[in-house]
Amino acid sequence: MTNDDDKTNIQHIYRNKTDKRILKKNPWKDYGLHLSVLLLVIIAELIGPIELNLAKGVTVSIMPLLYTMVLGLVFYLAKPITWIQRKQSRVAEGAMMLFIGVLIAKLAISSGQSIHLIFEMGPALMLQELGHLATILIALPVALLLGFKRETIGMTNSIGREPEVAVVVDKYGFNSPESRGIFALFIVGTIIGTVFISFLTSISVSVLPLHPYAFAMASGVGSASMNAASLGPTLAAFPALETQIEAFAGFSNLLSFSIGIYIVIFIALPLTEKLYEFLEPKIGRDSITDKKGGE
Amino acid sequence: MVEIIDGSENVSVHGIFNWILLLAIFSIITAIGNYIGYQHPMADSLIGMAILSIITLVGVWMERELPFNISSIIYISVIGIVLAFPTMPTSAPLLHYVSQVELLSIVTVFLAYVGIGMGKSWDEFKALGWRAIIITILVIASTYLGSAVVAHIILTLTGVPA
Repeated sequence: MTNDDDKTNIQHIYRNKTDKRILKKNPWKDYGLHLSVLLLVIIAELIGPIELNLAKGVTVSIMPLLYTMVLGLVFYLAKPITWIQRKQSRVAEGAMMLFIGVLIAKLAISSGQSIHLIFEMGPALMLQELGHLATILIALPVALLLGFKRETIGMTNSIGREPEVAVVVDKYGFNSPESRGIFALFIVGTIIGTVFISFLTSISVSVLPLHPYAFAMASGVGSASMNAASLGPTLAAFPALETQIEAFAGFSNLLSFSIGIYIVIFIALPLTEKLYEFLEPKIGRDSITDKKGGE
Repeated sequence: MVEIIDGSENVSVHGIFNWILLLAIFSIITAIGNYIGYQHPMADSLIGMAILSIITLVGVWMERELPFNISSIIYISVIGIVLAFPTMPTSAPLLHYVSQVELLSIVTVFLAYVGIGMGKSWDEFKALGWRAIIITILVIASTYLGSAVVAHIILTLTGVPA
């Protein structure tokens, strides 16, 4: 495959999903889906945020955004709710790809408003993208100790959302162990990622003495829903810095989407392979996938 | 990911109509949530959401119609940033209405769709073992904390007051 094909595949994943589900059906006709969302939103906003004191000085805030997401999943899984099925789930996913745009537009307006700050913080914004490489150093050895083989390379090179999945599938082939690894990461990340990062952020802002802007920049991990879920507790912790936090989060997300993919191709994947070749003979275990015949 | 098909992706009038209606539904739900959660007047929120929806539509349309390989996320970001530039005449009215829509109100509605959309991955998720869950948690935590720590170090080195 040529380089151009690579880029086409990577860039058009969002577009394909949206178009397949939105252009060919009439998604607005799914009254049940949209009315359910409205119901979830009303319930969530009426309950409002809840603060839990885990220990002295450690507070976890649970935001309405978590209620709607978890209840949305419950609506899909609950048997009595017959009007939210696989079809609605597909429509919701396609619609979500379009609604990412609204979220991005709101963040971009905060970025534009604070453009002087973005320029001032340029070095921090650019370099924090390289902080994502920490996943290779931490998750890769653990994956080897748990008995993963070449799946490790797909699983630990990045956050593993759509663009990264495309890169790995394109490089190693659809049926390769590397692709199996990133598919697993993608699926688990889809289900638990948003909830997990919301709690992680909540605990981090209350115990880690880092700069408020650092938390804002870090929330742009390269997934719009994780970005959103991480912003909730950050905004709650630093209410006076609302515009700045939105500006940095939005810009960091933009960087993750635009240059993040090249960091994965040119730095993260080669680094993951090198570290794998180096560590696997030393700490690798018997393959769990051989024993169980594929996971 | 293999199921990527290249059907006719040209923007038809029909397609744009679907986008507009979906964005209108999204805007109305967000405005209601924004009123309940933050007591912002419904009319201002709706105008704010209309502005954000138009920027989204233009970005999505540009991705499909312009001959460059650029994702709509980038177009939407650039349009938003430029329109909100402090020196632009659009800046003041734009900020007036868009600031009426809390980011978290948008996120709350957005994540309801995400929750329903993730439902169909549930069976695949259950089939994966606990090992995959541990690795995913480590990957997300180290990606997030890695960049937070790097950002903090650079911010401190460049002398940005907290």
